[in-house]
Amino acid sequence: MNLKIPQRAESYIPTASMADIAFLLIVFFMVTTTITVDRTAVDLPTSFERVEVPKDAAVIAIDETGQVFFSNGEEDSRAISTQDLLPSAAFIMSKNSLKYFLIKADGNAEYRFIDQVMEQLRQAAVRNIAMLTQQEAG
Amino acid sequence: MKLSKKKGNPEIPTSSMADIAFLLIVFFMVTSVFSVTRGLEFQLPRQENTTETTAEEAVHIFIERSGANCSFTVDGILTALGDINVYLQPKLARNPNKFVIIDPAPNAPYRCMVDAFDELKIGNVKNISIPTTAEKAAWGDVM
Repeated sequence: MNLKIPQRAESYIPTASMADIAFLLIVFFMVTTTITVDRTAVDLPTSFERVEVPKDAAVIAIDETGQVFFSNGEEDSRAISTQDLLPSAAFIMSKNSLKYFLIKADGNAEYRFIDQVMEQLRQAAVRNIAMLTQQEAG
Repeated sequence: MKLSKKKGNPEIPTSSMADIAFLLIVFFMVTSVFSVTRGLEFQLPRQENTTETTAEEAVHIFIERSGANCSFTVDGILTALGDINVYLQPKLARNPNKFVIIDPAPNAPYRCMVDAFDELKIGNVKNISIPTTAEKAAWGDVM
């Protein structure tokens, strides 16, 4: 009598597609994330009403001490004096008169800094402004 | 002489590929900064046809710093932030295009101006004006 020992099928976990899944996730996150042009650390004020603003808008950041940072929406933001804001804003407006300007100001900054920035924007004939805020709780 | 070659199964090691990819995902997630893309919209008036408003027909909200917080003076009456809409709504019911002027003091914190602006947005005020210091000077004594 010949009793043959049954051959065991080798067991394994298929991991070949795991890398594909991971790379797909990487590509997905890379496509959906927008690159931040401004990294000024500010404590934004809060509001209930919040609307989505265009992603390619110019950014004007104002920190607590009143230092102004400006980005045209493509390049990284740089420190700028309030007086230099007018030619920069006017140049952007000459190319696209509907351009949005985001005011990313610290909630504790004194209003006169924002006032100066608004005055420059008004002189540059800027129409659309958005003040970035955080969601107010409760 | 017999040369017997044992054939090993040729294989590309791909098991660590997933580890590398997930490591990249984690790295990008940690280093990425979330950008705020929501806020309050505001439109500056056009230069050519500036809408003329007189102080009498517009509601005037004056914002002053008081300690860590702010005080809101609406048409000369000291009002709590939440009561601004109580005062405004009857006026808006009569005239939906009522102008509201926000006038923060130079040393008032920016967040108080945003708070007042937010209240007006909640109250569906269509015409909000935030005159700059230069504009106020041009208006003269009406403020």
